[in-house]
Amino acid sequence: MLSAQERAHVAQVWDLIAGHEAAFGAELLLRLFTVYPSTKIYFKHLGVCPDEAQLLTHGQRVLEAVGVAVQHTDHLRAALSPLADLHAQVLRVDPANFPLLIQCFHVMLASHLQGEFTVQMQAAWDKFLTEVAMVLTEKYR
Amino acid sequence: MEKQQHRLAFGTLVITSKLPDTMVHFTAEEKAAVVSLWAKVNVELVGGEVLGRLLVVYPWTQRFFDNFGNLSSESAIMGNPKVKAHGKKVLTSFGNAVKHMDDLKDTFAELSELHCDKMHVDPENFKLLGNMILIVLATHFSKEFTPQVQAAWQKLTTAVANALAHRYH
Repeated sequence: MLSAQERAHVAQVWDLIAGHEAAFGAELLLRLFTVYPSTKIYFKHLGVCPDEAQLLTHGQRVLEAVGVAVQHTDHLRAALSPLADLHAQVLRVDPANFPLLIQCFHVMLASHLQGEFTVQMQAAWDKFLTEVAMVLTEKYR
Repeated sequence: MEKQQHRLAFGTLVITSKLPDTMVHFTAEEKAAVVSLWAKVNVELVGGEVLGRLLVVYPWTQRFFDNFGNLSSESAIMGNPKVKAHGKKVLTSFGNAVKHMDDLKDTFAELSELHCDKMHVDPENFKLLGNMILIVLATHFSKEFTPQVQAAWQKLTTAVANALAHRYH
C-alpha cells in the first residue's frame, strides 16, 4: 500500500511520461533487451532485432498499462485483472523478469530526470512497480 | 589459449586447451564504455549517494550498518557522515574492479573473505548495490548512459557481485 506521499511521487513522475508513452516504452524495452537479452524470449513476435516501429508500438502498450496502474494505485487488483489473467494464462512471464524491467525503468527515469530523480521518488516508484508486478503474477498459481 | 598435454593409459596423448581462469569476458567496447565513464565519476559524491539510496530504498539492508548512528529517516541517511565515508570506500573499491575487469575473482578474493566469512553479508545485497550504482550513474550522466553503456556496467556490477560472493561457494 502506498502512502499519500508515495502516491504523490508516483504521480509526479508520471507527469513526465504522460503523452509520451510510446517513446518511453520504446526506450524501456530497448534497455531491457540490451541489458538483459534473455528477456527477448517473451517478445519473439517482435523478431530477433526489433525495429524502432515495433518498439514504439509495444512500448506504448506497456506504458499505457503502467498509466492505468498509476490512476488506480488504490485498486490495482481490479484495474489490472485482465492483464493479470493475460500474464497467467497466455504470456507466463517468469516472475524473476519483473525486477529486471523495474531496474531498467529506474535507470530510464534517472537518466531523464537526473537530479530530480530523488531518493524518495526512487523509493516510491520502486514500491509501486513492485506492487504492480506482484498483481500481474498473482494468478500464476 | 595455452595447451596442455595429458598422457592417458596405453600411451594415448590427449591435447586439450587450458581455459583462462576467468568467468567473465568483456569486449573492447564494453571495457571502453566502463573506463571512459569511470574517468568522470566523482567517487566521493557518487559513493555516498549509492550507499544512501540502498539504505533508503531497501531498508532491510540497514541490518549490516547498526553502528552507523542515525539512520532513522531519508534525510538522516543521506546526510550521515558514516554512510558517505563508507560509500566512498565501496566505490573506490569499484574503481579497482574497473582496472582489473579481466581478473575480478583474484582482485576481490580478500574482500570476498571479509564479506562472506567475517561479515556474513547476504550476496543479494551485492546485486542490489550494483543496481543502485547504475541508477546513480544514470542520474549523473543522463543521455550518455545509453542502453549499451548500461549493459556494460550491468555486466561489471554482476561480475563484481559474483566475485564478492565467491567464498560462499
